[in-house]
Amino acid sequence: MIKGVGKTFRRGSRRTVALAEVDLTVHAGELMCLLGPSGCGKSTLLRIVAGALQADEGSVTVGGRAVDGPSADRGMLFQTPMLFPWLTARNNVLFGPKAQRSAGLNERDDPELQAEADAILGTVGLARFGDAFPHELSGGMQHRAAFARAIITRPSLLAMDEPFGALDAITRVRMHDFLLQMREQYQTTIIFVTHDIEEAVLLGDRVAVMGGSPPSIREIFDIPLERPRHGADTDTTQFLTAKRRIRAALTGRAA
Amino acid sequence: MSAWQSLPPRGGTLTEDPGTEEPRWDENAFGEQADDLSGYRRARRQARTRRLMTGTAGLAGLAIAWQIAATLAHSAFLPSAMQTIQTLIHYADRPYPSQGSPLWLDAVVSLRRIMLGFGIGVAIGVLLGAAMSATRIIRHLIDPLIEVLRPLPPLAFIPLFIIWFGIGEVPKEVLIVIGVAPIMAVTTVAALDQVPEDLRLCAMTLGATRIYTLIHVQVPSALPGIVTGMRISMAGAWTSIVAVELIAATNGVGYLIMQAGDYLNVGLAFSGIIVIALLGLSLDACLRGVAVFVDPSRRG
Repeated sequence: MIKGVGKTFRRGSRRTVALAEVDLTVHAGELMCLLGPSGCGKSTLLRIVAGALQADEGSVTVGGRAVDGPSADRGMLFQTPMLFPWLTARNNVLFGPKAQRSAGLNERDDPELQAEADAILGTVGLARFGDAFPHELSGGMQHRAAFARAIITRPSLLAMDEPFGALDAITRVRMHDFLLQMREQYQTTIIFVTHDIEEAVLLGDRVAVMGGSPPSIREIFDIPLERPRHGADTDTTQFLTAKRRIRAALTGRAA
Repeated sequence: MSAWQSLPPRGGTLTEDPGTEEPRWDENAFGEQADDLSGYRRARRQARTRRLMTGTAGLAGLAIAWQIAATLAHSAFLPSAMQTIQTLIHYADRPYPSQGSPLWLDAVVSLRRIMLGFGIGVAIGVLLGAAMSATRIIRHLIDPLIEVLRPLPPLAFIPLFIIWFGIGEVPKEVLIVIGVAPIMAVTTVAALDQVPEDLRLCAMTLGATRIYTLIHVQVPSALPGIVTGMRISMAGAWTSIVAVELIAATNGVGYLIMQAGDYLNVGLAFSGIIVIALLGLSLDACLRGVAVFVDPSRRG
């Protein structure tokens, strides 16, 4: 999917190579974690995949089609939930379908869309909160609403940019469980950016470790943990082995 | 690819699926007591009622203090609250001898000037602000003009405007406009600049076009800031209009206050001030209503 992608930021005469020669293939239905320290280009890569940034070199294709700008086929979730504060949870979820309808991409009427939005809100555990405004929801609830909003347009790819980075540790564990359960249910392809080794091992089918200068993908690990996984399964031998190997790759020390 | 096996095909709805075994995220399974939304809103409404009652009590306290002070002073130059109310009611619909129009007509005249000048000023300011936010050259061109104009008290222009535009309605409208427009331009720029880039990106990854994002994301996201600017500039508009009516007008509440002062009718002057306060309060209440409408987080 990602072939020889490079990106250079230019500010005046100063050039910063943000990514060099990145090759990565993410399979359909896979959860791929991009792991690395700050400034390793993982967010840049994710934004290129989402279409928010243009690659200077190389190409990105999703489902055989080249990426040229943001589209509903590639959903994105951010560190903050980015809900529209002036819309209720239900209308936030309905934003995508309504935007697509105005662009002539579907012709579904309001009751039909409402029913689907309510069903998805129920799936993410917000059945009673369709009429709530974002400020009336807790942090975890806001993230679940954002997930519902992204999933209702049925993207073939979800790009998640450290989505749980700003949550407290307990809520975070719950969101890990939530995400694991949702991906079992929706089977969507996910690229998940994080700088947390444990999170990457817990969630990822594979973990791509990024870093170096110029930044690129250094190593890709298979995570041989069984599915379905649970947020609390972070103390098994297999888990710790995988974690240790990846930490060694990140710090450059032998395992 | 068949990543969406678990979902019905496009066009179908999830509720048609009778499979009740579909896994659902159960928040309570994790011991978190999900807050009850209606209870939360009820609590906020109660807090608002308490706030309003406290505020009303403060105003009532002021009226009582006034009444007591007036009774103690026992002076013709300090009518009591009750006497002032009587004067207000008395002159509400009959003209003060020295001038031709009753109080309500002066109030309408002032209100009309405010609405017209404020409307034009807001329109100019918002358009300028939008243009400045959208185009860097326009911003760099206009920004210094506004920064020069903004700290100037509009009242300093009154003599000039009388020379240029006479003593009719035009100088009064222009005065309000030059007070309102710069504030609106600055607040509009700030409000549009504060729309997070990722919020727009988020809308586009949900399938919104650029135009749809502008109308359904950027505008609603900037509205609360713009309405705050309107509330600030509305207060300035009242200052300008009363000042110009005191100096160069033949009607309006400011003119009435001036007349009342000339004839030492303190009660009538107070009445004019009360009318201005009530009008200002009502207009601000309207704008506050708009603010709450565009920003749900301020409800309750």
